[in-house]
Amino acid sequence: MAKKQRTAGTPESQLPLAPATFQILLALADGERHGYAIMKEVTSRTKGAVRVGPGTLYGALKRLLESGVVEEGSERTDPELGDDRRRYYRLTKFGLRVARLEARRLDAMVRAARQKKLIGTAPA
Amino acid sequence: MSAERMYRLLLRIYPADFRSEYGREMTLLFRDEYRTRDTNAIAFWVSMVWDAAHSAISMWVDVWLARGKEYTRTLEIIMKLAGTLAVLVGVFGAVNALAEAVAAMRGTLGSAHIVAVALGGAAGVLLITAGTALLRGTPSARYTATIALIASLVIILIARLTHPWMSSLSQLIGIGMPLALLVALHWPRGHDHSTSAA
Repeated sequence: MAKKQRTAGTPESQLPLAPATFQILLALADGERHGYAIMKEVTSRTKGAVRVGPGTLYGALKRLLESGVVEEGSERTDPELGDDRRRYYRLTKFGLRVARLEARRLDAMVRAARQKKLIGTAPA
Repeated sequence: MSAERMYRLLLRIYPADFRSEYGREMTLLFRDEYRTRDTNAIAFWVSMVWDAAHSAISMWVDVWLARGKEYTRTLEIIMKLAGTLAVLVGVFGAVNALAEAVAAMRGTLGSAHIVAVALGGAAGVLLITAGTALLRGTPSARYTATIALIASLVIILIARLTHPWMSSLSQLIGIGMPLALLVALHWPRGHDHSTSAA
């Protein structure tokens, strides 16, 4: 059963996000995942450059739940990982707006870096 | 001792509420991560201890900030109750002074007593002002309350000097109440920290 979450202020008030927090939101952008799936998605997408440990992951999820960015989905087993029931997490509509705003903020920073010729025009 | 049991021991560094909410999920995640690790055991454990250490500090900071907010909220409720009490005592003092003023008009009171009654009435009005300001609770109202309480205290002390036979109860309320309210008003309290998801 999904828990009803309250949102904390405006999406803008949540910014800027910590890098690990934004990585978690990116992992949840495709749909709901459990903790281990979030961790694996972050590691594989960043090719191992970012590793989110259990404490960092659940600490961030706790804050994201409290601020209404993320909500709990159903609790169920993952056939690939055995019989243990796992909590699944997903982005709320509010969370999706927060993630989009953070992406735009980072995009603006990268464009500014390109204009200053700190990086090339092609994606790194 | 199994790796999972050692990790459960490591989880004890987290606040109890966080542990009871997420401890099981974290242990599951640890089990999966331990099973599929691509580094040696020592490097793996170093990363786990580092993760637990810095995330536990962050969790404890959240707990302390939440306690600070709770403490501040409790103090605000106490101040509202104190404000109500100040208004009630002020009204009682003002009404009492009015009754004595009526008696004074009948010529049954001496001049020193009349001055003391007038001062007592003024102190009552000031207590009502302070109590109303405390109930509003804004920073400017707190400033008004402080000024009104100091003025009330000074007036009661003057009344005590002009009217030495003031009752012990009147002295206790007239001097003790503004003093207690001033201490409560200026007692150091936690600041409201806003948190973000970051």
